[in-house]
Amino acid sequence: MKKIVLIFFYSLFWRNFLKLIIGLNYINREILFKSKQFILIANHNSHMDTMAIMSSIPIKNISKTHPMAALDFFGGNKIKKFLMRNLINATLIDRNPELQKEKPIQIMDDILKKGRSLLLYPEGSRGISHNISNFKNGLAILIQNNPNIDVIPVYLKDIHKTLPKGSKLIVPFKCKIIFGQPIQFDSYDLNDILVKSQCSLIELKENY
Amino acid sequence: MILDIDFSSPNNLLVLIIFMILILASSVFFIWKRIQPNALVDQMIKTTQSWWVMCFVFLFAILSNTVITILAIALLSFVALRELVSALNINIDYRSSVFLCYLSIFFQYFFIYKGWFIEAIIFLPLFILVILPCSMIISTCRKGFLRSYSFLSISVILAVYSISHLAFLITFIHLDNLSSKSLLLFLIFLTQINDIMQFIFGKIFGRNKILPYVSPNKTWEGFLGGLLSTTIIGCFIGFLTPFNYYELIVVSTIIAVLGFLGDSFLSAIKRDVGVKDLGVSISGHGGFFDRIDSLVIISAPFFYIFYFLLEL
Repeated sequence: MKKIVLIFFYSLFWRNFLKLIIGLNYINREILFKSKQFILIANHNSHMDTMAIMSSIPIKNISKTHPMAALDFFGGNKIKKFLMRNLINATLIDRNPELQKEKPIQIMDDILKKGRSLLLYPEGSRGISHNISNFKNGLAILIQNNPNIDVIPVYLKDIHKTLPKGSKLIVPFKCKIIFGQPIQFDSYDLNDILVKSQCSLIELKENY
Repeated sequence: MILDIDFSSPNNLLVLIIFMILILASSVFFIWKRIQPNALVDQMIKTTQSWWVMCFVFLFAILSNTVITILAIALLSFVALRELVSALNINIDYRSSVFLCYLSIFFQYFFIYKGWFIEAIIFLPLFILVILPCSMIISTCRKGFLRSYSFLSISVILAVYSISHLAFLITFIHLDNLSSKSLLLFLIFLTQINDIMQFIFGKIFGRNKILPYVSPNKTWEGFLGGLLSTTIIGCFIGFLTPFNYYELIVVSTIIAVLGFLGDSFLSAIKRDVGVKDLGVSISGHGGFFDRIDSLVIISAPFFYIFYFLLEL
């Protein structure tokens, strides 16, 4: 049931809306079809980012892919929580360390251990457009614990124009979502993982 | 019946001609590829395939009922405006004004659909003069005001005002023994043929550049070859218009020259912005607006030529 809702919501509604009305161009989307389980890392400038990425995920994987969302921002009341879990397929994470029952890293690790995929914004919250800021440490720990899972960089170009931070009006602008090849890590040192994944995202940005 | 086609009617005759040209082009490139395969032929085959799709969509949109035709032209305006606005790099703080520009498409085509001539004529000039600056003034940003205002105005003029005159042709021109869609077919067919002929003559004979600073691919030979062949073809498909041969020669020449200038106009804009094409929507052609760029100057004058000729 949940899968049908997700397919309808993302693969039918959002994909067509983004393609036809907004003018989103999917580049190298076939990379997603090649791997079974993945961690997607993307730059984050707008709420539209999650819709764009989730709409490009193949139907067979869509219910197994979870975007991460902040509990204080998106889980305000029960209806919001229900929608976030069932319509967006998000996993809510408490950002306040005092209220956490479980560490966010642990939650994400459990999801990966179950064979599910993650969508992460390693910059933290929505950043400044055209700029990729430093990645958070958690990503490196996650990759270090799960070295066999493909890490796919996703660069979102100009999507922030359609729905920037602090705005509620969606305006069509042509934009691109670019998928990169899975990152090959040479060393699994925390710092090296961070540098390597950030470089691969910047590389995508510069090539398109 | 859907296949009950009457070839004595001018529109259907043109459909037949278009498909004959397409079949001819496809077979020529097929044979050429067999004899001498190279990158140019592959490119041409890709372009021709896109032409097939475009012709089907275009003919369906034009020959079905008037509402679908107007909707299709409105959609074309929308896509063209989106391509322009995205390429022109407008300050993002003026997003609400950009949204109003999209909204103006709806009103413009609504007036056309209703057949309100005066409203359709004055709406966009007043929109650019009154609504657009007002919406930009009350927005919180003052940076790059003139730049954004000019970019938005020119986008609306090119993508909405100019292209909506194609829909004007359908609603506001009533001919005695021809459907008004014939004129639209005549205009679009001739501008596209002009493009193709200029390209062919330019590729074969092109030597002397005509506009070296705007569009280095265009040559005098291409321009003159296109002009000549467009005039001849224009006379040949004159059955779509109420004109006699002298008028046809004049109108076809105007279409060829203004089509060329429209093409160069958009090239100049693209060159200034620093992009080659405005999109990647049509394989082998670029964006939608790159395909219909030769219509941007000619569409409005073509309508008014008819409007005033019929008034006389």
